[in-house]
Amino acid sequence: MSPPILITGVGTLGAWGGGSQGLAAALAAGVPLTSEVDRSAGYHRSGGARRACLVPAGQFTGWLSTAESRRMSPPSKLAVAASRMALRCAGLTDGEEEEGTAVVIATAFGASTNTEILLKQILFEGPESASPSLFMESVANAPAAQIAIALKARGSSLTVCQREAGPLLALGTGAAEIAAGRARRVLAGSVDEMIPLLHALLDRFGALARGGPEGEELALPFGRQRNGFLAGEGATVLVLESAASVAGRGGRALARVLAWGSGFDPTAPPSGWGIGHQALARGLRRTLERAGLGPADVDLVVSGASGARDGDRLEAEVLRAAWQGAPLPPVAAPKAVTGEYGGGLLASAVLAAAGSPPGPTPGCGFVDPELGIALCDGSPLPVPSVVLVTSLAAGGAGAWVVLGQGMG
Amino acid sequence: MAPLVAPRQQEPAAPQVAVTGIGAVCGLGWGTAALWQGLRSGRSGIGPFVRFDHSQHRTHLAAEAPEAETPPPNLARVCPGWRRLTIADRFAIFAALEAVGQAGLGANDTADLENVGIYFGSSTGGMYESELFFADFLREPRRARLSALVAQQVNAPGDAVARQLGAMGPVATFSSACASGALALGAALAAVRSGEVDVAVAGGSDSLCQLTYAGFNALRSVDEIACRPFRAGRAGMSFGEGAAVLVLEPLARALARGAEPLAVLAGAGSSCDAHHMTAPDPTGAGAAAAVEAALADAGLTAEAVDFVNVHGTGTPLNDAAEWQALQRVFGKRAGKMPLVATKALLGHLLGCSGAIEAVATVLCLQHGELHPVQGTGEEDPELPVSLVLDAPLSLPGVRAAVSTSLAFGGSNAALVFSRWAGQAA
Repeated sequence: MSPPILITGVGTLGAWGGGSQGLAAALAAGVPLTSEVDRSAGYHRSGGARRACLVPAGQFTGWLSTAESRRMSPPSKLAVAASRMALRCAGLTDGEEEEGTAVVIATAFGASTNTEILLKQILFEGPESASPSLFMESVANAPAAQIAIALKARGSSLTVCQREAGPLLALGTGAAEIAAGRARRVLAGSVDEMIPLLHALLDRFGALARGGPEGEELALPFGRQRNGFLAGEGATVLVLESAASVAGRGGRALARVLAWGSGFDPTAPPSGWGIGHQALARGLRRTLERAGLGPADVDLVVSGASGARDGDRLEAEVLRAAWQGAPLPPVAAPKAVTGEYGGGLLASAVLAAAGSPPGPTPGCGFVDPELGIALCDGSPLPVPSVVLVTSLAAGGAGAWVVLGQGMG
Repeated sequence: MAPLVAPRQQEPAAPQVAVTGIGAVCGLGWGTAALWQGLRSGRSGIGPFVRFDHSQHRTHLAAEAPEAETPPPNLARVCPGWRRLTIADRFAIFAALEAVGQAGLGANDTADLENVGIYFGSSTGGMYESELFFADFLREPRRARLSALVAQQVNAPGDAVARQLGAMGPVATFSSACASGALALGAALAAVRSGEVDVAVAGGSDSLCQLTYAGFNALRSVDEIACRPFRAGRAGMSFGEGAAVLVLEPLARALARGAEPLAVLAGAGSSCDAHHMTAPDPTGAGAAAAVEAALADAGLTAEAVDFVNVHGTGTPLNDAAEWQALQRVFGKRAGKMPLVATKALLGHLLGCSGAIEAVATVLCLQHGELHPVQGTGEEDPELPVSLVLDAPLSLPGVRAAVSTSLAFGGSNAALVFSRWAGQAA
């Protein structure tokens, strides 16, 4: 076991607005914060999904300069704002020359707004109409690069694209940068935007939640009636530091990263989930073993389950296989509140490890009995010592992170 | 000059990591034999191409993988769903199977598939196929076939390789523009060293598409003729496409199972310019930091390096910044250091460029010979480099080489390869 990596700051934006206090309140209430998606472009089916967990307007005030707001794509703006929030939360100064700071950011879909506009320009107006400023911000690594530029972070700049597993891989990759001595500090996180085009396509794939008990669009993780997820957007960035670095500056830790790991299910189709739960469960157990822990040591699971029919089934099978028949700890599924974007999961997991109660998961009273999951229902829980964070991606990847309580 | 990134604190017991298999597809053909034959002869794969109608684009050249050989005869049989795969996925699977086959994995190896990791780089994944879809969807949503979008994401090539090989260890895709492939190899190296995996299958894949072709043209970063890295009058990059894969494993493991190491991946380093989204730091400080971190990681000094496979895009600013970086790292040796400019023959493979240039570097080390590029145009008096031009340069005693990848967004990566000590010179 290597010395723990500490999480000293969290910056997050999502449907709850900006800041972890708003997220904590939303999780405690257990109600998804959805709003209407603009369907005016005609991409949507007439009877299709209408709502998503979208970032409210006006969240960048005070976090971005006018010039930054003008030149950056939506994901870059979200990521830079979240980074500055995270640094402030950690008690660090923004913008000092920082040679040993690395940036690791996950994104599933990249800069969708820019890509859509560019494709329209190229395909319908002619390739010479392509905007150079839109193109330079269309690359997947634009948010990581803009964080580095804004904060003068000159360590490694990495962008991870592994769909739902990406955020936990980014956290693990960032922790590995510190553990190996390649960075003193890491800004690790996840960003995604949800545009009408993407929302319409996800709906046409049948991926979005379309039927709560009263006909509303409600994600029901592990629920008997689950039929899809709520699309979401936002950004979460965490500040990771070594224990020595935090002690040296008199900082405090929100949580500790005890271990990280990942695996793959080769039975999964390119955009779905497979049947390889046994191998994934072994990967999960290996991750716990790296922290010197076993399943019985886990006090709370913060799951990436989103209400996806096959994804949640696989997640439950993996957990049950990893626990080998022993009772599972309580499971929180924050994507029912935050929507399906990995930053919401990341921030929710850190809040849980820091002692914020996970709140009731929407639909917790209607869990699929075949899945054997005990969802958090809002009943008071002891502050967890060990939190297992899990996320299984469509396409086969799976990732896990083990968090512990902070120190100091 | 002190490195900007702290040198890696390598454990004393960290194993040497061998390259035991390589695979590639690119504008010079399918397979590493075609690649080396083309590289050694200095033959450019850059020319007219047919992937999409480029009559309305500003430029008209690319190094397109030869269509006539697609798919290679046996792949459609061994790879389920071959015809439904994107071009980038096909490239990736071809290169991976070639590399794994050369490494002898599966045939005479008992690698636990839960300890096999896949580390890939890609910039665009299935963007070409997405463009075909969106051309329909944006006109009339009901006409578009959703199935065309299934594998369009950037992680699709790496996932496809994992699925094909049955790998159950970590699978991670890096998309840091032109540094993606090299960063993936760096992650794979770390995973093998730490024991997280027994075997890493690492590389990258990207195919030609209109988005990047038009986008770089909009930035006026594309030369109207084949690119001329470090030469006077150079006016930008040329596009390429393909995939490249390297199999990495602990040297001791490779030798124990009777595999023949092709080279040793001795170190990796990375940094960020934190300067500008598209323009490199003109001082070369960020790129130099990545090379110095890679050398420190390898436990080598700059004096141990016998050649550099440069990023060498052929854009005026990038080559000038890279020259500054070379001077920072190699001092007075920089002008005499043999430079290999693979992009002059293969074009720029974007997210795969670091991987295919790693394969080219391994081939040069393996053969004790540096591949040339055509000496088109004149030397740039501002960049007095020693490019290998027109004929191969024999270096039978070659010890180590650096490969650089300097990306959009200022993301820099460097790899250090060395000849395996047991290898005959």
